[in-house]
Amino acid sequence: MLNLLLQLQLLLAALSAFLPLVPEDHRVRAAEILDVAAKALAAGGSIAGNVDDLAVKLAAIRAEVEAMVASGAGVSAEQLDAATARVRAASAAFRAALQTAEASAT
Amino acid sequence: MRHPLRVLALACALTLTPACAALQLGQTRIENPIAAAQTIDQRAYALLHSYAAIVEEATDIVADPATPLAFKRALGQAERAATPSAETLQIAVTAYMRARADFDAASSANQTTIQRTATALSIAARRLNEAVAAAQAPIAELEGLVRAHRG
Repeated sequence: MLNLLLQLQLLLAALSAFLPLVPEDHRVRAAEILDVAAKALAAGGSIAGNVDDLAVKLAAIRAEVEAMVASGAGVSAEQLDAATARVRAASAAFRAALQTAEASAT
Repeated sequence: MRHPLRVLALACALTLTPACAALQLGQTRIENPIAAAQTIDQRAYALLHSYAAIVEEATDIVADPATPLAFKRALGQAERAATPSAETLQIAVTAYMRARADFDAASSANQTTIQRTATALSIAARRLNEAVAAAQAPIAELEGLVRAHRG
């Protein structure tokens, strides 16, 4: 997905290089359209990237669990400690971010 | 700009297309690590890791200045409800793993010891099942908020 976005952005950049060939009375409009398209692609890419991010993380966890199932192994103490530490760190970071957001809102 | 509506339509299409495509609706593929687990400890482990990943995403949303404060507070409320259940889950899975290790170690012991460790393992498994069931709803609520914002 992100590769497709990158390709589209490169295509827009390439099209921008042909702007001088556009008749002068249409050039400003063409530049505006390309500019809007670039901004829209950047915004859409940001949203897609964030959705992809959670999906990628969940896919990685699933792959780890599937490997565990395939090997017939149970959860080790080290694995559990790592999961617990991750939850604690994520929760602490979340609460700190929320506190910052509350503070900056007041 | 002579045709603002056309430009707006183009902008909307270009903005929404990649975001919609990222949802992979055609494949209806939403990763669910818990569904891949086969044992109760694997399920608990998958749930804990998934929860951490969801909270990490929620942190990014809260850190984004463009996110409305009301939504950030809703995320905060959901996190405050879910994290204690994740901590209870962690305690339950630790107790289960200890009970299972004790049971495995008692395999060559006398009948009384085997029975005692089997009973302890059974209780720990039941508590772990309850902890998994109790954690799923609040974690799903936070995940729903994160997905609603991202989608």
